[in-house]
Amino acid sequence: MLMTRTHLLRFSFFCRMGVLAHLERLEAQVTESRTKSAERQRARAEGRALGARIQKLRRLRDELRAEVQWRRASVKASTASVQPDQTAGMSEQDVLERRWEHAKAMLQAYRFTGLSGRLTSHGVCVRISTAFEEHLLESYFVDLVIQKPLRILRHSVPVFIPLEKMAAQHLQSDIRHFLFSLCEHLNAYAGRKFQADRLQGDFAAFLTGPLRRNALCSLLSFTYRVDSGAQSVTFSARLLYEDLTVTLPTRVTVACEGTEALSCSWEHQRASHETLFSTKPLHQVFASFARKGEKLDMSLIS
Amino acid sequence: MDAQRAELCALEAEVAVLRRACDELPVPWSETSRIQKLFQEIHPSDSAGGESSEDLRSRVGRLESELAFLNTVTGISIRNYSKQTEDLTSTEVTEKNIKKVVQKYRLSGNCHMVTFQLEFQILEIQDNESLSSVITDLNIIMEPTEYPELSEFICRAEERRDLFLFFRSLHFFVEWYEYRERTFKHFKEKYPDTVRLPEGACSRCMSICSASRPGFELVIVWRIQIDEEGKVSPKLDLLTQVPQRALKLDKSRVVETAPLSFRSLLRVLGIEAALESLIRLLCAENH
Repeated sequence: MLMTRTHLLRFSFFCRMGVLAHLERLEAQVTESRTKSAERQRARAEGRALGARIQKLRRLRDELRAEVQWRRASVKASTASVQPDQTAGMSEQDVLERRWEHAKAMLQAYRFTGLSGRLTSHGVCVRISTAFEEHLLESYFVDLVIQKPLRILRHSVPVFIPLEKMAAQHLQSDIRHFLFSLCEHLNAYAGRKFQADRLQGDFAAFLTGPLRRNALCSLLSFTYRVDSGAQSVTFSARLLYEDLTVTLPTRVTVACEGTEALSCSWEHQRASHETLFSTKPLHQVFASFARKGEKLDMSLIS
Repeated sequence: MDAQRAELCALEAEVAVLRRACDELPVPWSETSRIQKLFQEIHPSDSAGGESSEDLRSRVGRLESELAFLNTVTGISIRNYSKQTEDLTSTEVTEKNIKKVVQKYRLSGNCHMVTFQLEFQILEIQDNESLSSVITDLNIIMEPTEYPELSEFICRAEERRDLFLFFRSLHFFVEWYEYRERTFKHFKEKYPDTVRLPEGACSRCMSICSASRPGFELVIVWRIQIDEEGKVSPKLDLLTQVPQRALKLDKSRVVETAPLSFRSLLRVLGIEAALESLIRLLCAENH
Protein backbone atom coordinates (compact mmCIF):
# COMPACT_ATOMS: atom_id res chain seq x y z
CA MET A 1 0.00 0.00 0.00
CA LEU A 2 2.73 2.21 0.82
CA MET A 3 3.17 3.57 -2.61
CA THR A 4 5.49 6.30 -2.03
CA ARG A 5 5.47 9.21 -4.25
CA THR A 6 8.64 8.08 -5.94
CA HIS A 7 7.11 4.68 -6.45
CA LEU A 8 4.11 6.24 -7.99
CA LEU A 9 6.26 8.44 -10.13
CA ARG A 10 8.42 5.53 -11.17
CA PHE A 11 5.38 3.36 -11.76
CA SER A 12 3.71 5.98 -13.88
CA PHE A 13 7.00 6.62 -15.62
CA PHE A 14 7.36 2.95 -16.47
CA CYS A 15 3.72 2.87 -17.43
CA ARG A 16 4.18 5.83 -19.63
CA MET A 17 7.31 4.24 -20.99
CA GLY A 18 5.36 1.15 -21.83
CA VAL A 19 2.58 3.12 -23.46
CA LEU A 20 5.02 5.34 -25.23
CA ALA A 21 6.98 2.37 -26.39
CA HIS A 22 3.79 0.75 -27.52
CA LEU A 23 2.77 3.93 -29.25
CA GLU A 24 6.17 4.16 -30.84
CA ARG A 25 5.93 0.60 -31.98
CA LEU A 26 2.52 1.24 -33.41
CA GLU A 27 3.74 4.34 -35.18
CA ALA A 28 6.69 2.45 -36.60
CA GLN A 29 4.34 -0.25 -37.82
CA VAL A 30 2.07 2.24 -39.52
CA THR A 31 4.97 4.03 -41.20
CA GLU A 32 6.39 0.71 -42.32
CA SER A 33 3.13 -0.46 -43.77
CA ARG A 34 2.60 2.93 -45.41
CA THR A 35 6.00 2.75 -47.06
CA LYS A 36 5.39 -0.85 -48.04
CA SER A 37 2.01 -0.04 -49.58
CA ALA A 38 3.48 3.00 -51.30
CA GLU A 39 6.19 0.77 -52.69
CA ARG A 40 3.62 -1.77 -53.81
CA GLN A 41 1.59 0.96 -55.47
CA ARG A 42 4.68 2.23 -57.23
CA ALA A 43 5.50 -1.26 -58.37
CA ARG A 44 1.95 -1.77 -59.63
CA ALA A 45 1.95 1.56 -61.44
CA GLU A 46 5.29 0.71 -62.98
CA GLY A 47 3.93 -2.65 -64.02
CA ARG A 48 0.87 -1.01 -65.61
CA ALA A 49 3.00 1.53 -67.42
CA LEU A 50 5.21 -1.25 -68.72
CA GLY A 51 2.15 -3.21 -69.80
CA ALA A 52 0.71 -0.21 -71.61
CA ARG A 53 4.01 0.47 -73.32
CA ILE A 54 4.21 -3.15 -74.40
CA GLN A 55 0.70 -2.99 -75.87
CA LYS A 56 1.58 0.17 -77.76
CA LEU A 57 4.74 -1.34 -79.14
CA ARG A 58 2.92 -4.51 -80.17
CA ARG A 59 0.41 -2.44 -82.14
CA LEU A 60 3.18 -0.41 -83.73
CA ARG A 61 5.05 -3.55 -84.66
CA ASP A 62 1.91 -5.05 -86.28
CA GLU A 63 1.29 -1.89 -88.26
CA LEU A 64 4.87 -1.71 -89.45
CA ARG A 65 4.79 -5.36 -90.47
CA ALA A 66 1.65 -4.75 -92.53
CA GLU A 67 3.19 -1.66 -94.13
CA VAL A 68 6.37 -3.47 -95.09
CA GLN A 69 4.38 -6.33 -96.60
CA TRP A 70 2.17 -3.97 -98.58
CA ARG A 71 5.15 -2.06 -99.94
CA ARG A 72 6.94 -5.28 -100.92
CA ALA A 73 3.81 -6.57 -102.69
CA SER A 74 3.34 -3.29 -104.57
CA VAL A 75 6.94 -3.32 -105.77
CA LYS A 76 6.40 -6.85 -107.09
CA ALA A 77 3.16 -5.88 -108.82
CA SER A 78 4.57 -2.83 -110.58
CA THR A 79 7.65 -4.63 -111.90
CA ALA A 80 5.44 -7.43 -113.24
CA SER A 81 3.45 -5.13 -115.51
CA VAL A 82 6.27 -4.44 -117.97
CA GLN A 83 5.40 -6.17 -121.24
CA PRO A 84 7.79 -7.59 -123.82
CA ASP A 85 8.17 -6.03 -127.24
CA GLN A 86 6.06 -7.78 -129.87
CA THR A 87 6.78 -5.60 -132.84
CA ALA A 88 10.24 -6.68 -133.93
CA GLY A 89 10.69 -6.43 -137.69
CA MET A 90 8.13 -3.70 -138.42
CA SER A 91 8.89 -0.19 -139.50
CA GLU A 92 8.38 2.49 -136.90
CA GLN A 93 5.52 4.06 -138.86
CA ASP A 94 3.74 0.70 -139.08
CA VAL A 95 4.21 0.09 -135.41
CA LEU A 96 2.81 3.49 -134.55
CA GLU A 97 -0.18 3.04 -136.83
CA ARG A 98 -0.88 -0.36 -135.34
CA ARG A 99 -0.77 1.08 -131.85
CA TRP A 100 -3.04 3.93 -132.95
CA GLU A 101 -5.67 1.58 -134.37
CA HIS A 102 -5.51 -0.66 -131.35
CA ALA A 103 -5.80 2.22 -128.86
CA LYS A 104 -8.75 3.72 -130.75
CA ALA A 105 -10.55 0.38 -130.74
CA MET A 106 -9.91 -0.21 -127.04
CA LEU A 107 -11.23 3.24 -126.16
CA GLN A 108 -14.42 2.49 -128.05
CA ALA A 109 -14.68 -0.78 -126.17
CA TYR A 110 -14.59 0.97 -122.81
CA ARG A 111 -17.92 2.67 -123.60
CA PHE A 112 -19.56 -0.71 -123.02
CA THR A 113 -18.31 -0.98 -119.47
CA GLY A 114 -20.47 1.99 -118.55
CA LEU A 115 -17.45 4.13 -117.67
CA SER A 116 -15.33 5.82 -120.28
CA GLY A 117 -13.60 9.14 -120.67
CA ARG A 118 -11.19 11.32 -122.50
CA LEU A 119 -8.29 13.43 -121.39
CA THR A 120 -8.62 17.19 -121.25
CA SER A 121 -6.06 19.93 -120.79
CA HIS A 122 -6.70 20.06 -117.07
CA GLY A 123 -7.56 16.48 -116.30
CA VAL A 124 -10.12 14.02 -117.50
CA CYS A 125 -13.76 14.06 -118.48
CA VAL A 126 -15.43 10.86 -117.33
CA ARG A 127 -18.53 9.69 -119.15
CA ILE A 128 -21.02 7.51 -117.27
CA SER A 129 -23.47 5.60 -119.47
CA THR A 130 -26.73 4.28 -118.11
CA ALA A 131 -28.98 1.43 -119.08
CA PHE A 132 -32.01 -0.40 -117.78
CA GLU A 133 -31.88 -4.09 -118.63
CA GLU A 134 -31.44 -4.17 -122.41
CA HIS A 135 -32.27 -0.52 -123.05
CA LEU A 136 -29.32 1.83 -123.36
CA LEU A 137 -30.23 5.19 -121.90
CA GLU A 138 -28.71 8.62 -121.38
CA SER A 139 -25.09 9.47 -120.48
CA TYR A 140 -23.75 11.89 -117.91
CA PHE A 141 -20.34 13.44 -117.62
CA VAL A 142 -18.09 14.55 -114.76
CA ASP A 143 -15.19 16.82 -115.64
CA LEU A 144 -12.34 16.30 -113.17
CA VAL A 145 -9.37 18.55 -112.59
CA ILE A 146 -6.33 16.46 -111.80
CA GLN A 147 -4.52 18.38 -109.13
CA LYS A 148 -3.90 17.89 -105.45
CA PRO A 149 -6.71 17.78 -104.36
CA LEU A 150 -8.85 16.34 -107.14
CA ARG A 151 -11.91 18.43 -107.82
CA ILE A 152 -14.96 18.48 -110.04
CA LEU A 153 -14.95 21.33 -112.52
CA ARG A 154 -18.24 20.67 -114.32
CA HIS A 155 -20.79 17.92 -114.48
CA SER A 156 -24.18 17.04 -115.95
CA VAL A 157 -25.37 15.04 -112.97
CA PRO A 158 -28.91 16.00 -111.88
CA VAL A 159 -29.05 18.07 -108.73
CA PHE A 160 -31.02 15.50 -106.74
CA ILE A 161 -28.24 12.90 -106.99
CA PRO A 162 -25.99 13.29 -103.89
CA LEU A 163 -22.85 14.04 -105.92
CA GLU A 164 -21.20 16.39 -103.40
CA LYS A 165 -21.72 13.89 -100.57
CA MET A 166 -20.17 11.06 -102.57
CA ALA A 167 -17.28 13.27 -103.65
CA ALA A 168 -16.62 14.37 -100.06
CA GLN A 169 -16.53 10.75 -98.91
CA HIS A 170 -14.58 9.05 -101.69
CA LEU A 171 -13.12 11.31 -104.36
CA GLN A 172 -9.78 11.98 -102.71
CA SER A 173 -9.18 8.58 -101.19
CA ASP A 174 -10.61 6.15 -103.74
CA ILE A 175 -11.55 7.60 -107.11
CA ARG A 176 -12.65 4.20 -108.40
CA HIS A 177 -15.15 3.75 -105.58
CA PHE A 178 -16.44 7.30 -106.15
CA LEU A 179 -17.06 6.66 -109.85
CA PHE A 180 -18.69 3.27 -109.39
CA SER A 181 -20.96 4.60 -106.62
CA LEU A 182 -21.98 7.44 -108.88
CA CYS A 183 -22.55 4.87 -111.62
CA GLU A 184 -24.87 2.91 -109.32
CA HIS A 185 -26.91 5.97 -108.40
CA LEU A 186 -27.21 7.25 -111.96
CA ASN A 187 -28.13 3.86 -113.41
CA ALA A 188 -30.75 3.30 -110.71
CA TYR A 189 -32.24 6.77 -111.33
CA ALA A 190 -32.27 6.20 -115.10
CA GLY A 191 -33.94 2.82 -114.56
CA ARG A 192 -36.67 4.22 -112.33
CA LYS A 193 -37.30 7.08 -114.71
CA PHE A 194 -37.49 4.64 -117.64
CA GLN A 195 -40.13 2.54 -115.88
CA ALA A 196 -42.23 5.58 -114.95
CA ASP A 197 -41.96 6.97 -118.51
CA ARG A 198 -43.01 3.65 -120.01
CA LEU A 199 -46.01 3.44 -117.67
CA GLN A 200 -47.14 6.93 -118.66
CA GLY A 201 -46.46 6.33 -122.33
CA ASP A 202 -47.42 2.74 -123.16
CA PHE A 203 -50.00 1.94 -120.48
CA ALA A 204 -51.84 5.24 -120.07
CA ALA A 205 -55.09 3.39 -120.84
CA PHE A 206 -54.91 1.69 -117.46
CA LEU A 207 -54.36 4.88 -115.48
CA THR A 208 -57.40 6.72 -114.18
CA GLY A 209 -55.48 9.79 -113.14
CA PRO A 210 -52.06 11.42 -113.61
CA LEU A 211 -48.92 9.59 -112.54
CA ARG A 212 -47.46 11.59 -109.67
CA ARG A 213 -43.71 11.39 -109.25
CA ASN A 214 -40.82 13.31 -107.75
CA ALA A 215 -37.78 14.36 -109.74
CA LEU A 216 -35.67 11.52 -108.37
CA CYS A 217 -38.44 9.04 -109.32
CA SER A 218 -38.14 7.57 -105.85
CA LEU A 219 -41.82 8.10 -105.02
CA LEU A 220 -44.56 7.18 -107.47
CA SER A 221 -48.26 7.32 -106.89
CA PHE A 222 -51.01 6.53 -109.38
CA THR A 223 -54.49 5.08 -109.70
CA TYR A 224 -55.36 2.34 -112.18
CA ARG A 225 -58.37 0.33 -113.22
CA VAL A 226 -58.51 -3.44 -113.35
CA ASP A 227 -61.30 -5.20 -115.21
CA SER A 228 -62.39 -8.73 -114.52
CA GLY A 229 -65.32 -9.72 -116.65
CA ALA A 230 -68.12 -7.27 -115.97
CA GLN A 231 -66.62 -5.97 -112.75
CA SER A 232 -64.10 -3.19 -112.55
CA VAL A 233 -62.15 -1.96 -109.53
CA THR A 234 -59.93 1.07 -109.17
CA PHE A 235 -56.77 0.61 -107.19
CA SER A 236 -54.44 3.29 -105.91
CA ALA A 237 -50.78 2.40 -105.67
CA ARG A 238 -47.91 4.08 -103.85
CA LEU A 239 -44.36 2.97 -104.59
CA LEU A 240 -41.53 4.16 -102.37
CA TYR A 241 -37.91 3.57 -103.44
CA GLU A 242 -35.90 4.12 -100.28
CA ASP A 243 -32.72 2.58 -101.64
CA LEU A 244 -31.47 4.98 -104.31
CA THR A 245 -29.14 2.40 -105.82
CA VAL A 246 -31.86 0.01 -106.96
CA THR A 247 -34.70 0.09 -109.46
CA LEU A 248 -37.33 -1.83 -107.47
CA PRO A 249 -39.40 -0.20 -104.71
CA THR A 250 -38.75 -1.02 -101.06
CA ARG A 251 -42.29 -0.26 -99.92
CA VAL A 252 -45.48 -0.80 -101.89
CA THR A 253 -49.03 -0.11 -100.81
CA VAL A 254 -51.98 -0.94 -103.02
CA ALA A 255 -55.38 0.14 -101.75
CA CYS A 256 -58.87 0.01 -103.12
CA GLU A 257 -60.44 3.30 -104.15
CA GLY A 258 -63.91 3.67 -102.82
CA THR A 259 -65.46 2.82 -99.54
CA GLU A 260 -66.93 -0.65 -100.16
CA ALA A 261 -65.05 -3.55 -98.69
CA LEU A 262 -63.36 -5.78 -101.21
CA SER A 263 -64.66 -9.23 -101.96
CA CYS A 264 -62.33 -12.13 -101.34
CA SER A 265 -61.13 -12.45 -104.90
CA TRP A 266 -60.45 -8.73 -105.28
CA GLU A 267 -58.59 -8.71 -101.97
CA HIS A 268 -56.50 -11.56 -103.34
CA GLN A 269 -55.76 -9.53 -106.46
CA ARG A 270 -54.88 -6.46 -104.43
CA ALA A 271 -52.36 -8.42 -102.38
CA SER A 272 -50.87 -10.05 -105.47
CA HIS A 273 -50.48 -6.63 -107.10
CA GLU A 274 -48.49 -5.47 -104.09
CA THR A 275 -46.16 -8.39 -104.54
CA LEU A 276 -45.89 -7.83 -108.29
CA PHE A 277 -44.95 -4.18 -107.93
CA SER A 278 -42.29 -5.11 -105.34
CA THR A 279 -40.63 -7.76 -107.45
CA LYS A 280 -41.02 -6.80 -111.12
CA PRO A 281 -40.31 -3.61 -113.08
CA LEU A 282 -43.37 -1.37 -113.22
CA HIS A 283 -43.96 -1.41 -116.97
CA GLN A 284 -43.58 -5.19 -117.09
CA VAL A 285 -46.31 -5.57 -114.46
CA PHE A 286 -48.68 -3.51 -116.59
CA ALA A 287 -47.64 -5.45 -119.66
CA SER A 288 -48.75 -8.61 -117.85
CA PHE A 289 -52.08 -6.90 -116.97
CA ALA A 290 -52.51 -6.12 -120.66
CA ARG A 291 -51.82 -9.71 -121.63
CA LYS A 292 -54.30 -11.02 -119.05
CA GLY A 293 -56.88 -8.60 -120.39
CA GLU A 294 -56.33 -9.95 -123.90
CA LYS A 295 -56.77 -13.49 -122.68
CA LEU A 296 -60.06 -12.57 -121.00
CA ASP A 297 -61.31 -10.92 -124.18
CA MET A 298 -60.51 -14.06 -126.13
CA SER A 299 -62.57 -16.14 -123.71
CA LEU A 300 -65.54 -13.79 -124.10
CA ILE A 301 -65.50 -14.14 -127.87
CA SER A 302 -65.42 -17.94 -127.86
CA MET B 1 8.49 -7.67 -64.24
CA ASP B 2 11.63 -9.14 -65.74
CA ALA B 3 9.61 -11.01 -68.35
CA GLN B 4 7.86 -7.78 -69.25
CA ARG B 5 11.13 -5.89 -69.52
CA ALA B 6 12.53 -8.62 -71.73
CA GLU B 7 9.51 -8.42 -74.00
CA LEU B 8 9.83 -4.64 -74.12
CA CYS B 9 13.43 -4.90 -75.27
CA ALA B 10 12.57 -7.46 -77.91
CA LEU B 11 9.69 -5.32 -79.23
CA GLU B 12 11.81 -2.19 -79.40
CA ALA B 13 14.45 -4.06 -81.37
CA GLU B 14 11.87 -5.48 -83.78
CA VAL B 15 10.26 -2.08 -84.34
CA ALA B 16 13.67 -0.59 -85.16
CA VAL B 17 14.34 -3.30 -87.75
CA LEU B 18 10.89 -2.86 -89.35
CA ARG B 19 11.34 0.91 -89.51
CA ARG B 20 14.62 0.47 -91.42
CA ALA B 21 12.97 -2.01 -93.82
CA CYS B 22 10.09 0.42 -94.41
CA ASP B 23 12.46 3.26 -95.20
CA GLU B 24 14.24 1.16 -97.80
CA LEU B 25 11.06 0.28 -99.71
CA PRO B 26 9.37 2.86 -101.95
CA VAL B 27 5.91 4.10 -101.04
CA PRO B 28 3.39 2.51 -103.40
CA TRP B 29 1.33 4.92 -105.43
CA SER B 30 -2.23 5.34 -104.34
CA GLU B 31 -4.81 5.32 -107.11
CA THR B 32 -5.01 9.10 -107.05
CA SER B 33 -1.28 9.77 -107.16
CA ARG B 34 -0.87 7.20 -109.94
CA ILE B 35 -3.47 9.03 -111.99
CA GLN B 36 -1.72 12.32 -111.27
CA LYS B 37 1.61 10.89 -112.38
CA LEU B 38 0.05 9.46 -115.56
CA PHE B 39 -1.46 12.82 -116.31
CA GLN B 40 1.82 14.66 -115.81
CA GLU B 41 3.47 12.48 -118.45
CA ILE B 42 1.08 13.66 -121.13
CA HIS B 43 1.84 16.70 -123.23
CA PRO B 44 -1.55 18.34 -123.48
CA SER B 45 -2.57 19.40 -126.97
CA ASP B 46 -2.70 23.12 -127.68
CA SER B 47 -6.30 23.13 -128.81
CA ALA B 48 -8.91 20.90 -130.40
CA GLY B 49 -7.98 22.20 -133.82
CA GLY B 50 -4.33 21.39 -133.41
CA GLU B 51 -4.74 17.70 -134.13
CA SER B 52 -3.64 17.86 -137.72
CA SER B 53 -0.35 19.44 -136.78
CA GLU B 54 0.41 16.82 -134.13
CA ASP B 55 2.48 14.00 -135.35
CA LEU B 56 1.34 10.39 -135.06
CA ARG B 57 3.62 9.63 -132.17
CA SER B 58 2.16 12.18 -129.79
CA ARG B 59 -1.39 11.28 -130.79
CA VAL B 60 -0.70 7.63 -130.08
CA GLY B 61 0.87 8.60 -126.79
CA ARG B 62 -2.19 10.55 -125.77
CA LEU B 63 -4.60 7.74 -126.66
CA GLU B 64 -2.54 5.21 -124.78
CA SER B 65 -2.48 7.48 -121.74
CA GLU B 66 -6.24 7.73 -121.92
CA LEU B 67 -6.39 3.94 -122.00
CA ALA B 68 -4.03 3.65 -119.05
CA PHE B 69 -6.19 6.10 -117.15
CA LEU B 70 -9.39 4.18 -117.88
CA ASN B 71 -7.66 0.96 -116.91
CA THR B 72 -6.66 2.43 -113.56
CA VAL B 73 -9.98 4.07 -112.86
CA THR B 74 -12.30 1.21 -113.80
CA GLY B 75 -10.02 -1.64 -112.77
CA ILE B 76 -11.03 -3.24 -116.07
CA SER B 77 -8.47 -4.12 -118.69
CA ILE B 78 -9.72 -4.81 -122.22
CA ARG B 79 -7.58 -7.01 -124.43
CA ASN B 80 -9.62 -7.66 -127.53
CA TYR B 81 -12.46 -5.87 -129.21
CA SER B 82 -14.13 -6.37 -132.54
CA LYS B 83 -17.21 -4.87 -134.17
CA GLN B 84 -19.31 -5.94 -137.09
CA THR B 85 -22.09 -3.80 -138.51
CA GLU B 86 -25.11 -5.09 -140.35
CA ASP B 87 -27.51 -2.67 -141.94
CA LEU B 88 -31.07 -3.93 -141.61
CA THR B 89 -32.67 -0.91 -143.23
CA SER B 90 -35.02 -2.18 -145.89
CA THR B 91 -36.33 0.04 -148.71
CA GLU B 92 -39.81 0.47 -147.26
CA VAL B 93 -38.40 1.39 -143.91
CA THR B 94 -36.15 4.00 -145.56
CA GLU B 95 -39.20 5.76 -146.96
CA LYS B 96 -40.47 6.37 -143.47
CA ASN B 97 -37.04 7.71 -142.55
CA ILE B 98 -36.24 4.90 -140.17
CA LYS B 99 -32.79 3.40 -140.06
CA LYS B 100 -32.16 0.02 -138.48
CA VAL B 101 -28.67 -1.22 -137.82
CA VAL B 102 -27.41 -4.23 -135.92
CA GLN B 103 -23.94 -4.06 -134.42
CA LYS B 104 -22.23 -7.24 -133.30
CA TYR B 105 -19.47 -6.97 -130.75
CA ARG B 106 -16.85 -9.22 -129.22
CA LEU B 107 -15.04 -8.04 -126.13
CA SER B 108 -12.58 -9.80 -123.86
CA GLY B 109 -10.43 -8.75 -120.97
CA ASN B 110 -10.21 -8.96 -117.23
CA CYS B 111 -11.19 -7.15 -114.09
CA HIS B 112 -8.28 -7.88 -111.77
CA MET B 113 -8.26 -11.64 -111.36
CA VAL B 114 -11.54 -12.33 -113.20
CA THR B 115 -11.25 -12.95 -116.95
CA PHE B 116 -14.30 -12.48 -119.16
CA GLN B 117 -15.37 -12.85 -122.77
CA LEU B 118 -18.46 -11.12 -124.07
CA GLU B 119 -20.43 -11.38 -127.28
CA PHE B 120 -23.38 -9.09 -127.72
CA GLN B 121 -25.60 -7.47 -130.32
CA ILE B 122 -27.06 -3.98 -130.27
CA LEU B 123 -30.00 -2.97 -132.41
CA GLU B 124 -30.06 0.73 -133.22
CA ILE B 125 -33.24 2.24 -134.55
CA GLN B 126 -33.11 5.80 -135.74
CA ASP B 127 -36.24 7.66 -136.71
CA ASN B 128 -37.07 11.33 -137.07
CA GLU B 129 -37.37 11.90 -133.36
CA SER B 130 -34.87 9.75 -131.59
CA LEU B 131 -32.25 7.07 -131.61
CA SER B 132 -32.88 4.00 -129.52
CA SER B 133 -30.29 1.36 -128.74
CA VAL B 134 -31.30 -2.00 -127.40
CA ILE B 135 -29.12 -4.98 -126.57
CA THR B 136 -30.74 -7.87 -128.37
CA ASP B 137 -28.35 -10.61 -127.35
CA LEU B 138 -25.76 -11.03 -124.61
CA ASN B 139 -23.41 -13.94 -124.02
CA ILE B 140 -21.04 -13.89 -121.08
CA ILE B 141 -18.38 -16.55 -121.27
CA MET B 142 -16.50 -17.28 -118.09
CA GLU B 143 -14.90 -20.31 -116.57
CA PRO B 144 -17.77 -21.62 -114.38
CA THR B 145 -15.59 -23.36 -111.84
CA GLU B 146 -13.24 -20.46 -111.21
CA TYR B 147 -15.66 -18.18 -109.39
CA PRO B 148 -18.76 -20.23 -108.50
CA GLU B 149 -20.18 -17.35 -106.50
CA LEU B 150 -20.57 -15.45 -109.78
CA SER B 151 -22.36 -18.07 -111.88
CA GLU B 152 -25.95 -17.33 -110.79
CA PHE B 153 -25.42 -13.62 -111.29
CA ILE B 154 -23.99 -14.19 -114.79
CA CYS B 155 -27.10 -16.14 -115.83
CA ARG B 156 -29.33 -13.35 -114.61
CA ALA B 157 -27.29 -10.67 -116.38
CA GLU B 158 -27.50 -12.63 -119.63
CA GLU B 159 -31.29 -13.05 -119.23
CA ARG B 160 -31.79 -9.37 -118.61
CA ARG B 161 -29.19 -8.42 -121.24
CA ASP B 162 -27.89 -5.84 -118.78
CA LEU B 163 -24.30 -5.27 -119.88
CA PHE B 164 -23.53 -2.31 -117.63
CA LEU B 165 -24.90 -4.12 -114.58
CA PHE B 166 -22.52 -6.99 -115.36
CA PHE B 167 -19.52 -4.66 -115.22
CA ARG B 168 -20.74 -2.74 -112.18
CA SER B 169 -21.46 -5.81 -110.06
CA LEU B 170 -18.26 -7.45 -111.29
CA HIS B 171 -16.30 -4.48 -109.96
CA PHE B 172 -17.94 -4.63 -106.53
CA PHE B 173 -17.56 -8.43 -106.43
CA VAL B 174 -13.83 -8.10 -107.11
CA GLU B 175 -13.53 -5.47 -104.36
CA TRP B 176 -15.13 -7.77 -101.81
CA TYR B 177 -13.19 -10.80 -103.07
CA GLU B 178 -9.86 -9.05 -102.63
CA TYR B 179 -10.89 -7.71 -99.21
CA ARG B 180 -11.78 -11.23 -98.07
CA GLU B 181 -8.44 -12.54 -99.37
CA ARG B 182 -6.50 -9.75 -97.60
CA THR B 183 -8.36 -10.19 -94.33
CA PHE B 184 -7.91 -13.95 -94.16
CA LYS B 185 -4.25 -13.60 -95.13
CA HIS B 186 -3.74 -11.01 -92.39
CA PHE B 187 -5.15 -13.32 -89.73
CA LYS B 188 -3.23 -16.32 -91.03
CA GLU B 189 -0.01 -14.36 -90.70
CA LYS B 190 -0.82 -12.87 -87.34
CA TYR B 191 -1.86 -16.18 -85.75
CA PRO B 192 -0.08 -18.84 -87.80
CA ASP B 193 -0.65 -21.65 -85.32
CA THR B 194 -4.30 -21.03 -84.64
CA VAL B 195 -5.71 -20.02 -88.03
CA ARG B 196 -5.97 -22.32 -91.06
CA LEU B 197 -7.22 -21.56 -94.57
CA PRO B 198 -8.58 -24.91 -95.79
CA GLU B 199 -9.03 -23.85 -99.40
CA GLY B 200 -5.73 -22.06 -99.77
CA ALA B 201 -5.07 -18.40 -100.45
CA CYS B 202 -8.48 -17.64 -101.98
CA SER B 203 -10.33 -19.59 -99.34
CA ARG B 204 -13.95 -18.90 -98.62
CA CYS B 205 -13.59 -20.12 -95.07
CA MET B 206 -11.18 -19.73 -92.18
CA SER B 207 -10.84 -22.26 -89.39
CA ILE B 208 -9.67 -21.49 -85.89
CA CYS B 209 -8.38 -24.21 -83.62
CA SER B 210 -6.20 -24.22 -80.56
CA ALA B 211 -3.47 -26.75 -79.85
CA SER B 212 -4.28 -26.61 -76.16
CA ARG B 213 -7.93 -27.44 -76.82
CA PRO B 214 -7.95 -30.21 -79.40
CA GLY B 215 -11.33 -31.17 -80.74
CA PHE B 216 -12.63 -27.60 -80.68
CA GLU B 217 -12.82 -25.84 -83.99
CA LEU B 218 -14.52 -22.67 -85.13
CA VAL B 219 -15.08 -22.27 -88.86
CA ILE B 220 -16.05 -18.95 -90.36
CA VAL B 221 -17.67 -19.18 -93.77
CA TRP B 222 -17.56 -15.92 -95.73
CA ARG B 223 -19.70 -15.90 -98.86
CA ILE B 224 -20.05 -13.06 -101.30
CA GLN B 225 -23.64 -12.72 -102.48
CA ILE B 226 -25.05 -10.89 -105.48
CA ASP B 227 -28.77 -10.28 -105.14
CA GLU B 228 -31.52 -9.94 -107.75
CA GLU B 229 -30.70 -6.28 -108.32
CA GLY B 230 -26.98 -6.93 -108.72
CA LYS B 231 -26.01 -5.60 -105.30
CA VAL B 232 -22.97 -7.30 -103.81
CA SER B 233 -22.75 -8.00 -100.09
CA PRO B 234 -20.82 -10.29 -97.73
CA LYS B 235 -22.52 -13.04 -95.75
CA LEU B 236 -20.59 -14.55 -92.85
CA ASP B 237 -21.58 -17.60 -90.83
CA LEU B 238 -20.00 -19.41 -87.90
CA LEU B 239 -19.82 -23.19 -87.67
CA THR B 240 -18.69 -24.85 -84.48
CA GLN B 241 -17.11 -28.21 -83.87
CA VAL B 242 -17.15 -29.21 -80.22
CA PRO B 243 -16.36 -32.58 -78.60
CA GLN B 244 -19.35 -34.50 -77.25
CA ARG B 245 -18.14 -34.28 -73.67
CA ALA B 246 -18.00 -30.52 -73.81
CA LEU B 247 -21.45 -30.33 -75.38
CA LYS B 248 -22.87 -32.31 -72.47
CA LEU B 249 -21.39 -29.77 -70.04
CA ASP B 250 -22.79 -26.86 -72.01
CA LYS B 251 -25.87 -26.23 -69.91
CA SER B 252 -26.48 -22.68 -71.09
CA ARG B 253 -26.40 -23.82 -74.75
CA VAL B 254 -23.64 -21.42 -75.66
CA VAL B 255 -22.54 -23.60 -78.56
CA GLU B 256 -26.06 -23.83 -79.99
CA THR B 257 -26.56 -20.10 -79.95
CA ALA B 258 -23.03 -19.32 -81.15
CA PRO B 259 -23.98 -18.76 -84.83
CA LEU B 260 -26.65 -16.22 -83.87
CA SER B 261 -24.35 -14.52 -81.40
CA PHE B 262 -21.74 -14.30 -84.14
CA ARG B 263 -24.18 -12.40 -86.36
CA SER B 264 -24.77 -9.88 -83.58
CA LEU B 265 -21.03 -9.61 -82.99
CA LEU B 266 -20.54 -8.79 -86.67
CA ARG B 267 -23.15 -6.05 -86.53
CA VAL B 268 -21.55 -4.46 -83.50
CA LEU B 269 -17.84 -4.82 -84.20
CA GLY B 270 -17.61 -5.18 -87.96
CA ILE B 271 -15.90 -8.04 -89.77
CA GLU B 272 -12.26 -7.65 -88.79
CA ALA B 273 -12.80 -6.96 -85.08
CA ALA B 274 -15.33 -9.79 -84.80
CA LEU B 275 -12.93 -12.30 -86.37
CA GLU B 276 -10.07 -11.07 -84.20
CA SER B 277 -12.10 -11.46 -81.03
CA LEU B 278 -13.05 -15.04 -81.98
CA ILE B 279 -9.43 -15.94 -82.59
CA ARG B 280 -8.35 -14.37 -79.31
CA LEU B 281 -11.03 -16.42 -77.57
CA LEU B 282 -9.57 -19.72 -78.67
CA CYS B 283 -5.91 -18.90 -78.44
CA ALA B 284 -6.04 -17.07 -75.11
CA GLU B 285 -4.05 -19.81 -73.50
CA ASN B 286 -1.31 -19.80 -76.11
CA HIS B 287 -0.05 -16.39 -75.08
